[in-house]
Amino acid sequence: MKQSGTVDSKASSNPLTESDEVENEGTTSSRYSLWNFWVCSFALKLLLIPDYYSTDFDVHRNWLAVTNKLPLKQWYYEHTSQWTLDYPPFFAYFEWIISQFVPQVVRDDGCLDIVEIGKFGEPTVIFQRLSVITSEILLFVVLQWFINTSNVKERTQSFIVATSIILSPGFLIVDHIHFQYNGFLFSILIASIVAAKQKRYILCAVFYTTALCFKHIFLYLAPCYFVFLLRAYVLNVKGFQFKSYKDLVRLVQWTNLFRLAGVVLSIVGVCFGPFIFDMPQLLTRLFPFSRGLTHAYWAPNFWAIYSFTDKVLTTLMLKLPYVHTLATRFISAPFFPATIKEIQKRLSEDNNGTKGLVQDVYFIVLPQIVPKLTFILTLFYQLLAVIPLLFDPSFKRFIGSLTLCGMASYLFGWHVHEKAIMLVIIPFSFLVVCDRRLLSSFMLASSAGYVSLFPLLYENQDFLIKCFYTYIWCVIYFFSFRKTTKLSSSVERRIFFFDRLAIIYIVSLLPMVFTVQILNLLKGRYAILQKFEFFGLMTYSFYCSIGIVSSWVGLSWLYNFDEPLWMTNE
Amino acid sequence: MAGKNKIPKKDLSSQKKSGKTKETSKKHDIPEESFYASPLYDLLYPFRPAGSQWMTEYTIVLFSLIIRCAVGLGPFSGYGVPPMFGDFEAQRHWMEITQHLPIHKWYWFDLKYWGLDYPPLTAYHSYICGKIGSFFNPNWFALDSSRGYEAQDLKTFMRLTVLVSEALFYIPGVVYFVKWLGKHRRQSPIGQFIAAAAILLQPSLILIDHGHFQYNSVALGLTVYAINNLLDEFYAMAAVCFVLSICFKQMTLYYSPIFFAYLLSKSLFTPKLFNIPRFLAIAIATVCSFLLMYGPLYVFGGDQGLNNVLQSIHRIFPFARGIFEDKVANFWCVTNVIFKYKMLFTQQELQLYSLVLTVVGFLPAMMIILFYPKKYLLPYALSACSMAFYLFSFQVHEKTILMPLLPITLLYTSTDRNVLSRVSWMNNIGLFTLWPLLKKDGLTLQYWVCLLLSNWLIGNFSFITPNFLPKVLTPGPSVSMIGENYHYRSLLPRNIFWKVIIVLSYIAMGAIHVLDAFVNPPVAYPDLWVILNCTLGFGCFFLFWIWNYYKLFSMIKKSLHHL
Repeated sequence: MKQSGTVDSKASSNPLTESDEVENEGTTSSRYSLWNFWVCSFALKLLLIPDYYSTDFDVHRNWLAVTNKLPLKQWYYEHTSQWTLDYPPFFAYFEWIISQFVPQVVRDDGCLDIVEIGKFGEPTVIFQRLSVITSEILLFVVLQWFINTSNVKERTQSFIVATSIILSPGFLIVDHIHFQYNGFLFSILIASIVAAKQKRYILCAVFYTTALCFKHIFLYLAPCYFVFLLRAYVLNVKGFQFKSYKDLVRLVQWTNLFRLAGVVLSIVGVCFGPFIFDMPQLLTRLFPFSRGLTHAYWAPNFWAIYSFTDKVLTTLMLKLPYVHTLATRFISAPFFPATIKEIQKRLSEDNNGTKGLVQDVYFIVLPQIVPKLTFILTLFYQLLAVIPLLFDPSFKRFIGSLTLCGMASYLFGWHVHEKAIMLVIIPFSFLVVCDRRLLSSFMLASSAGYVSLFPLLYENQDFLIKCFYTYIWCVIYFFSFRKTTKLSSSVERRIFFFDRLAIIYIVSLLPMVFTVQILNLLKGRYAILQKFEFFGLMTYSFYCSIGIVSSWVGLSWLYNFDEPLWMTNE
Repeated sequence: MAGKNKIPKKDLSSQKKSGKTKETSKKHDIPEESFYASPLYDLLYPFRPAGSQWMTEYTIVLFSLIIRCAVGLGPFSGYGVPPMFGDFEAQRHWMEITQHLPIHKWYWFDLKYWGLDYPPLTAYHSYICGKIGSFFNPNWFALDSSRGYEAQDLKTFMRLTVLVSEALFYIPGVVYFVKWLGKHRRQSPIGQFIAAAAILLQPSLILIDHGHFQYNSVALGLTVYAINNLLDEFYAMAAVCFVLSICFKQMTLYYSPIFFAYLLSKSLFTPKLFNIPRFLAIAIATVCSFLLMYGPLYVFGGDQGLNNVLQSIHRIFPFARGIFEDKVANFWCVTNVIFKYKMLFTQQELQLYSLVLTVVGFLPAMMIILFYPKKYLLPYALSACSMAFYLFSFQVHEKTILMPLLPITLLYTSTDRNVLSRVSWMNNIGLFTLWPLLKKDGLTLQYWVCLLLSNWLIGNFSFITPNFLPKVLTPGPSVSMIGENYHYRSLLPRNIFWKVIIVLSYIAMGAIHVLDAFVNPPVAYPDLWVILNCTLGFGCFFLFWIWNYYKLFSMIKKSLHHL
């Protein structure tokens, strides 16, 4: 198996590596260019301009108006529109810069009016869409940098990773149809990953802090960056011997520490400095704890499974009372409704109270979830992911723990947005080329993650585009990854059964998506289907969450128990 | 299959190297890869190894479907223009009447408001689409009350029907055609798929079908099926497919002389004299499929049966509508600037003259096919014949350019750069003549994106990138690998005369676009830019047609490898 694997990858991997006589011509560095991909995707993105856009479009338009029309002090106080500014100041500066380029036609169109609900037409749409496309160029630049600086031997892999990211359906769906600036924001994060790969730690810290000051969701990755930089850059464990507590002072490389702290603090200072007297207001905007456990519909994380279980149990116990009697033998009152009556009472309360507002989820059978619990769970799993990094600060470990940190926050976080899956998939793309055994986990996470974005584009006209695009992305990249990645060691430990299961799961995503869509279409015809308004969304989030949770389990297993995988050859 | 293809690929690469050093490699036993050093080549290059080739087909088909979907997001003809709307409303209206009215009323119902004027297969197609649509939402196709209905979901549904029809008829036909040629000319698989991608991304068809809204791909796809059957020597099937194609859209009659000559010649002269069984098979197949198509009109027409059939035929050929309607890049419209035909001659005279000119135009091609029914002559003959119809016949629409463009575009399978360059030139000019129409539909963005993307993909802009991009970004493997003195930086023929013509026509195209965008036409001639557009289009079509004939004559004694 191993033999055939290597032969296979050599013979049929990207042929670019094979043509030795060409490599000697000295054009190696120029061969892996993202230029063609940029032109192609640019054309497609232009065609998507007239497509549907979400309320996020008006959100960003409002921010353009706020930053352009108001003095800096008022940016975080302005609340004419309900779409208040809730990104960190760097992003506000970014919006301000964009707003400087708004041409007169677009101004007249109402792009820069501070109003409750934006009134704008085609010029604004074109301008804002183009601003997304333009700002995304940074992603191409960063990834080209990544390719050009990577090892000649790994260049094919790097090229595949880079193109898989720039062609990612996630960016296409979220940025170019739904409307956001993720491509631009993630390019900064990717820059920090590339810097980490090159062991340029200061640069890594600079990029990460900048990214953080653009979008605070990257805070979820902070533990990993903190430990990585601490261990790799600040601490000096080589030749360290503990004799007394005084020795601990020598453990720390003080110049590095001050350099790092200086850089990080100065970036944070530039970012938040102008708002120093408005910090409390700014922080309430950035961290709105008043929101519910799950977002408007359920992001496919652990809580989706949890509430699905709750729904199933409720129905089950109401239909079959003896299930309840059986359960009460093992679980007692505070964690569990004592009688069927109480279940019915809770159910009616739920129906009367918060049916319209999906903001807060109320569990009927299972215990309620409080924010504190989600934070404890997230931190706990992040800690587990970070500890190995403390012993071995290699790039592989770092990127692995980054992925796991993203996963932990996505799976257990409070008010997680389905778009946050990019936080998992992007680091994972850098990781997956290390070993083929990671591939099935990656396939699960990316396919389920991208499919879980589908409900964002609920209009029928986008259905085929999102399906075709995601499908072809999956086909191309799953196979390219399979061809270019190697099995590093210990094939015997590979459990084939789960791989087959993963394939079955991924293939069944297709009928799932199509069934939900067809049921949706038939709603106009059969009134009974309207009762199951949320059925489609529930199916999506439950099914996708299974994939993502299993991907997390698989990755965690490999991360914690498969030592050879993480060994570096250096 | 994969193993068999390995051999020519190796020959190819060695040959490519020698060709590069010697620079001239005119005599090929095995064709050079078409579109070498184009972005399309570079993008599909990673799929070259045998294990990955199957992915290429997926990629090109899905990518072309995605582009079609994305173009479909734009507006359609007649969007929000009451009372008559446009082609979208016409198609929707036909779905409405075919499913609500009995067959004998189809060709009679309210003829003023988009009365059905396409052959019966279109009507049956509309009937099926309408039935499916009504299943989801009966309001879309409610009789009379649904006129001018333009809701988002209806648009999505209609776009979907075009997409599905194209995916059923056009795309498999083209892919099969390309594969057949590739197999018989020992072309590398990746070369085949590159050609297929170039054909599938032909911008005119995408924009008319998925932007403007029509079902041309069905008629064209059936024609390609017919061609494929000719290639495989299933003559009766070819006749059936072609009849179906005519019964979908009468415009495919432009190809009929060639099909007629080919089938006749195959059953009467070659390879043996008077192949009666084959002749009978073709004749019976043709008659039966016509009967099948028109039968329902007769049978369900009651006592008016024959009248019904005649009415449908009468509706299809609207001679009363004049020699041309809108501005179109053909002989009559362009020379009408000087000679006002409608004043000089009567309708009947004009019909006669146009008939004579058309027959003179296509007769040589038909004769060649009659005496040399060779497979590799088919695309040239079809394009010469249909172009003759386009240039000289009666009542031509600007959209009809799609008919000559189909065989021309199929020539993307050629490996000769001189041919490829002219084909891409024709595609650009063809799309350019559609510009006034697309502009009216509000498809400006889609027009530019498709025009530029298709040209860029096949390498028409390759002369720009290596000069203007930093070395780090030099696109793609092939462009990086070719030497500094690589001859072909873009698709232009070798001949200096043609080079000048093509470049000049592109410059004129650009100039007309600039005028159209920024300068108001003089008050006396409000259509001046459109006339200029048509004149340029006509000139280029005519020149191409002449070259096409030259090519047809010079190809007679050659083989499939010289296509």
